Amino acid sequence: MRRVTLTLVLGLAGVACAIGLTLAHAPTTVARTNRPPGQPEQEIASSRESSRYCQADETLPRGTSALRVWLDAAYGPRVTVEVSAHGRRIASGQRGSGWIGGAVTVPVTPLARTISEASVCVSFDARDETVIAQGNPTPAASATRDGTEALAGRLWIEYLRPGSRSWASLAASTAQRMGFGRAAPGIWVVFAALALMAAVLALAFRLVLSELP
Amino acid sequence: MSARAVTPTSAPRHGSRAASAGDRRRRASGLARRVPRAAWICGLIACLNAICWSLVTPAFQVPDEPSHFAYVKQLAETGELPTSSSQVTSSEESAALTALHQVAVRQRPQNQAIATNAEQRQLESALAAAPHETGSPAAGVATSQPPLYYALEAIPYTVARGSTVLDRLALMRLASSLFAGLSAVFVFLFLREALPRAPWAWTVGGLSVALAPLLGFMSGAVNPDAMLFAASASLFYCLARAFRRGLSARRAAAIGAVSAIGLLTKLNFAGLLPGIALALALLTLRAARAHGASTALRWLAFALALGAVPLLAYAGVEALSHESLLRGASVSSGSPGSSPLAELDYIWQLYLPRLPGTADYFPGLFTTRQLWFDGYVGLYGWLDTVFPSWVYDVALIPAGAIALLCARALVQARAALRSRAGELLVYATLAAGLMALVGAASFTAFPQIDAEYAQARYLLPLLPLLGAVLALAARGAGRRWGPSAGALIVVLFLAHDLFSQLLVVARYYG
Repeated sequence: MRRVTLTLVLGLAGVACAIGLTLAHAPTTVARTNRPPGQPEQEIASSRESSRYCQADETLPRGTSALRVWLDAAYGPRVTVEVSAHGRRIASGQRGSGWIGGAVTVPVTPLARTISEASVCVSFDARDETVIAQGNPTPAASATRDGTEALAGRLWIEYLRPGSRSWASLAASTAQRMGFGRAAPGIWVVFAALALMAAVLALAFRLVLSELP
Repeated sequence: MSARAVTPTSAPRHGSRAASAGDRRRRASGLARRVPRAAWICGLIACLNAICWSLVTPAFQVPDEPSHFAYVKQLAETGELPTSSSQVTSSEESAALTALHQVAVRQRPQNQAIATNAEQRQLESALAAAPHETGSPAAGVATSQPPLYYALEAIPYTVARGSTVLDRLALMRLASSLFAGLSAVFVFLFLREALPRAPWAWTVGGLSVALAPLLGFMSGAVNPDAMLFAASASLFYCLARAFRRGLSARRAAAIGAVSAIGLLTKLNFAGLLPGIALALALLTLRAARAHGASTALRWLAFALALGAVPLLAYAGVEALSHESLLRGASVSSGSPGSSPLAELDYIWQLYLPRLPGTADYFPGLFTTRQLWFDGYVGLYGWLDTVFPSWVYDVALIPAGAIALLCARALVQARAALRSRAGELLVYATLAAGLMALVGAASFTAFPQIDAEYAQARYLLPLLPLLGAVLALAARGAGRRWGPSAGALIVVLFLAHDLFSQLLVVARYYG
């Protein structure tokens, strides 16, 4: 019984530490994007086979740790991103298959400084599934290229980096947002959820202590 | 004193009706008393956890929830089944979906739920102004499903009738949460029958399953999966009880009744039928040896009749009303031009690494890990809410440790396993049947979509087996460290649940 109690106490302490660390961490924010605000999704290319789209004249802000590329797929293939400037590879990253939705986020090594006139290449290994690229229609000269062929525009890319505020400092606004979109709106939702989880925690620990030898 | 002993002395003098009502109450309370307190607490925890998930998850941001809501609306308001699989729902539901920006948020993790007072006011006025039509003949993907879950959900729907769509949805989600509790109770009872030697390990398995985030997420939404999990958990319990204590009329009837409930809840339950058939065959053979062939066959007939009659009644209603029975069962028709061998190969690769000399259906994809393991660890919302990729790598460590400890327990108990080979074969057949059904359904969409139904929730009817693995893992740590390992497993599941809910909060409201 003493061992079980000790395990529970240590386990709970570990969970509390992990939650603390998570709350101290800042969520990623969009540092720069070429998508006009409010612009509806617009297809500039679609492919059912492996492709490599390259886009020149991009500026990557300092601290960029991930690129959100606007590719749409029902079950996304593996995506690789390569950033190069002045003939040198600056950063790269890969996202495994299985992503869903209109955009895929690919983590890259955080950039120490702002990179301008960069070329961003996005490649994926599609076989049967259709992958749709979303972006702004542009003249062929400035469009994204698939090999030698120009797409119908420039691919939307968002450059993400850790924000300046931690999750803990965003807790109040997050709690407020949780109250919206409900039958009975209000912050009561947060307190109800916390009370429920506290009850779950108490019941679970009491049960373990009473049933495990 | 047992309930049976109490009955004669406490029979009331107010007529036979009152007496029989009293008997029924006493029988029910006797039945409840036979369920251990720990099982009830596991059930309560699962229920509270699912309610918490129902609060955390925004309205209609669970797979197919709009379609399931539409089905309930149609059944509750017209008494009829939906007839169209169109995604165009009723005006009031569409108004709610539009005001919630449901389409823009769904499968777009970069978009969040509504977040301002102005949007909330817009939502409230849209809900108030939405025209109310009776019923919703179109219920999207839910149209093909049988009606039992929806009929039960019609109760909270009707209670909240006259209020807004979101009020009704909230009450229906609460009702659905009860099924999480039932699932956890039956998993605990299954473990009691299947692993009778270590009662403390039942708590480890039952409690961990109660805290499983995917169970909470699905049961905290309007989705027949919630009831399917409970039905399959009760099936596992009934089968384990019959294997341990032998078949009887009552146990045969329970297996039949639970099978009927499962089949009338969701078509996926059909995947368990091969396992049920094998179980009944083995149990009947055993009963024939113990009680004679005619008695055993009578019990078998009980089970079959109870399983088949409700299904035939539903088939009759379906045939009289519109389309063919089990409209969604056409999933196993196969892709055009494909051979059964190719389908079998596809199903194999959907779960396991491909065999040498076979075509590669999932190039660059380790399906066991990426589809199923990662899908179980964290894939919420409309399959659009995921942890950072390192979390899935780290999760392999405790999963590997649990697998090793479970294997150790199985090796230690190999003599007992040999004597229960038939029962184990039944559990394996139940799992294989369900996996084959999901694989066959995915194959129909292949190659346009690689693995349409490769979602971990479709395997949650096998939760009792997860509970057994966890209980065995705790036992595998040995007499001295077993309880500590069990406590650690519970903490692990609790942490998984907490972080999964935080993930959902961050995705929709952060």
